[in-house]
Amino acid sequence: MSKVTVLAIACAAALLIAPVASAHHSGTMFDETKEVTLDGVVKEFQYTNPHSWLLVDVAGADGKVTTWGFEAEGPTTLMQMKVRRSDFAPGTKLKITGHPMKDGRPAASWTKAIRADGMEFYPRGRNPEGN
Amino acid sequence: MTCITRLAALLACVALVSTAARAQEPAQPSPADWQRMHQMGLAHKTAWDLYQTLKKTARGGQTSPPFAQLPDWSGLWTSGGGGSLFGRAPGGVMPKLTPNTAAVLKKGAELLAQGISYDENLSECGPPGYPRWLAIPFLREFIVRPEQTWLSSETVNNVRRVYTDGRDHPSPADAFPLYYGDSIGFWEGQKLVIHTNQLMARSMGRNQPDQSEQMETVEIWEKVDPRTIKADVWIYDPALYTEPWYMQRRYTQVANADKVLRMNYWHCGENPNNDVYKTPEGNTQYNDFTFTTDDNRTREQGK
Repeated sequence: MSKVTVLAIACAAALLIAPVASAHHSGTMFDETKEVTLDGVVKEFQYTNPHSWLLVDVAGADGKVTTWGFEAEGPTTLMQMKVRRSDFAPGTKLKITGHPMKDGRPAASWTKAIRADGMEFYPRGRNPEGN
Repeated sequence: MTCITRLAALLACVALVSTAARAQEPAQPSPADWQRMHQMGLAHKTAWDLYQTLKKTARGGQTSPPFAQLPDWSGLWTSGGGGSLFGRAPGGVMPKLTPNTAAVLKKGAELLAQGISYDENLSECGPPGYPRWLAIPFLREFIVRPEQTWLSSETVNNVRRVYTDGRDHPSPADAFPLYYGDSIGFWEGQKLVIHTNQLMARSMGRNQPDQSEQMETVEIWEKVDPRTIKADVWIYDPALYTEPWYMQRRYTQVANADKVLRMNYWHCGENPNNDVYKTPEGNTQYNDFTFTTDDNRTREQGK
């Protein structure tokens, strides 16, 4: 068996047992190398399995409002990350960060939010860079 | 992609996964202990033979023991890592894979390095199935009763029922493939010994090979400290391995002092924003979202 084959198997196998980002689908739709941060107002928090979606209205420079969807894990994971449904009631102002979709649609995998009152939330946990 | 680029991507992948594994820091048996357990599997031609040896060693084991003699596995648990179906074991030992399994894993790793993956089970709201169940994330509950134990997970509401009332597996005439197989077991003190057969031939996950209906396993479950339950697992499947494989998984109790966390019904299709489909190149893509009229299907069709 070649070294490349061994590496490939080890990689695939390790990924099988590593904590996966999602239960329902992979995260390949999002560009993990990019980050988008937007100011907006919560429209709706869909606290659902297998993934939750925080819908945020974002006003553009021209005043046009675009609804963005920020994807996160399901309710029990969010609760362990101290992100409760009541934390993001409709109308809540916030600055929100995530990895955007590769295809350009207004959606992202949610990594961080700072509410107008200064409270910070990390639905996927803090990484070593503090994000 | 050149061979060098592919190798670099694979190495990067291994490095990333290694980092994740270190962060998780699952306790693993020493190489000597792992080898001793692995040899137990190698010494038996079938999982049923191993199960019978364990039963004989336990002098038949206990079936339907008094409730007061059973261990307390209450609370919420989550996968604490450890072991691998196809990866290196302590001491660097690799499983002996069939050529097809090795080829599928190699191809899967290459696809993943290109950012391509699709889950034939979960993406279509199907169950993860067993033995993938051993590694899936999210909450678990273990319900221990004299006549049976339920090993459950919130993902798609799955429950593995382990019958410990002395019954046998269904006869071959009554057997049929099941997502989680048929599990019978016995108690040896505080250890639950399980034999599972009747498993379904299906994909084991994203970019993973298919398990076969010939797969059978033996498990020994034991609570080793107040916050840890470990499972020793021997897997026999001639479609995957040329000899049986041993791994040890660990499950960690989830902090829940205020008892707010609960296992709830998991309806995979409750939110249409989670609907995905398989693209022509084999990747995962969202269907149209409810919160925007920016239609990806229209984009794909160039309209």
